[in-house]
Amino acid sequence: MCSLHQGVPAQAELHPWEVAVPKGQIAHRHKALFIGIGAVALLLVGAGAGVVLLLSGAYSTAATKQHFGITYRILELGLRYSVASNAEDIVVPDLGRVANVNIGYACYRRYCVQCHGAPGVARDPLGRGQLPSPSSLSESARDWPAAHLFYVTQQGVRMSGMPAWEYRISSEGLWSTVAYLKAMPFMTVAQHRELDESSADETCPAPTAAAAYTRERTQIMFRQYACDNCHIIGGMVGPKTHVGPSLKGWRERKYIAGVLPNTRENLVRWIVAPQDFSPHTMMPDLDVIEPHARQMARYLMTEE
Amino acid sequence: MMRQLSLFILLPLLFACAPERDYVPRVVDGDADRGREALARYECGVCHVIPGVADAVGKVGPALDHYSRRSYVAGKFPNEPDMLVRWIVDAPAMAPQTAMPAISMSEQDARDMAAYLYESD
Repeated sequence: MCSLHQGVPAQAELHPWEVAVPKGQIAHRHKALFIGIGAVALLLVGAGAGVVLLLSGAYSTAATKQHFGITYRILELGLRYSVASNAEDIVVPDLGRVANVNIGYACYRRYCVQCHGAPGVARDPLGRGQLPSPSSLSESARDWPAAHLFYVTQQGVRMSGMPAWEYRISSEGLWSTVAYLKAMPFMTVAQHRELDESSADETCPAPTAAAAYTRERTQIMFRQYACDNCHIIGGMVGPKTHVGPSLKGWRERKYIAGVLPNTRENLVRWIVAPQDFSPHTMMPDLDVIEPHARQMARYLMTEE
Repeated sequence: MMRQLSLFILLPLLFACAPERDYVPRVVDGDADRGREALARYECGVCHVIPGVADAVGKVGPALDHYSRRSYVAGKFPNEPDMLVRWIVDAPAMAPQTAMPAISMSEQDARDMAAYLYESD
C-alpha cells in the first residue's frame, strides 16, 4: 500500500496537464488525490482483513463465545428503531373485543414459552443455549407498545433465532398473543397458574386464508415454510442446497417427484400431503394450507 | 513489498485449507468413462439432463448434475453407491409408484453409470 503513495506524486509531476495550472491549485489537486487514494487503500485493507478473518477461521461462530458489550447495545438499539419504524402503520384493534388472553396464552404455550419462559416457568433447554439469548418477555412486554409486539411476533427477528409467526398463527391469534403479553408482566405466579389451567382446552388458531398473490409474497412464503432449505427455487436467493431437487424451470418438468404428472392441481395436492402419493418420499408434510399451496404452485408454474 | 508478498502467499493458503466434505460417495469397481458411454447408450438423457453426456436434455425426470452432493436418490433413499446402483437397475422394485422404468442392464453398467454421476461434478 505504501508504494502506491510514493509512486503517485512522482508520476504526477511528469504529467502534461500540470504545466498550465497555477501552483496552489496543483497542491489542492494533490490533496484530493491523496485523500482519494487513501480512502481506496483503507477500503482495500479493510476488505482484505475481512477475507483473512473469515477464511482463517479466527472469527468464532460458537454460541459460547460472548458478544462485546457494544455489540449488545448496537443490536438492541437497531432492533428497537427498526421495529418502531416498521410498525408505524400497524393499527392496533380494540384488544378487548378482538383478542382473547386465553387464546393468546394457548399460542404462547405452544410456540413461545420454550424459549422465553413465563412467570415462574423456566424456558426449555432449547431457550438456554442460544446467542443471542431469547429475552425474558416480562420486561419487553412492559416496555414495548402493542403494535411493536405484534410486528416482532408476526415478522420475527433476523439472525436472532426469533421466527416469524405469520404463517403459523392467524391474525386473531397474534393479537391475542399480544393481549397476553401485555397482561403477563402484571401477573403473580398464582394468577399465571390459574390462566394456564383455564386455558387448558384452548388451541392456537392457524391461518386459514392467503393474502392476494404476489411473486414477492410467495417467495417469503417459500422461506417461511422452509422450502428453500431443501430446494433451490427459481428467482430466489438462498442456501446452496442439494437435499431435494432444484425447482428451477419447474414448469418444464413432466413429473412431480417421479410419481405424479406435473399439473398445477397435482402440484397443490403434492405440496399439501406428499406422503399420500409417495410413501418413500423424504419430503415431509409441512402443514402447508391449501391457499398457500395454490400460490406456491402458481409461482413454480410461471417462474423460469 | 514484503507485506504484499506475504498476502499473496497467505491468501491461496487460506483457500487451500477450506474444509472438505466428510462423505463423498465413490463406486468401487465403477469406471466413469464407461459410465458416460453407458448413460448415452441406454438413452438416459431422454428423461434426464446429464452434464457431459451428449443429447441428455430430458425434462421428464430431474437433472442429474451435482449428484455426489445430493442427499437422496429420487428424493426417497439415502444417496450412497449401493442404493444408487439398485435404483438405476430396477427403480420400480424400490418404489412401485415411480415413473422411472426398470431397465434391463448388467450391474456393471449401473456401477459405471453411478461412478460417472458421482465423479462428473
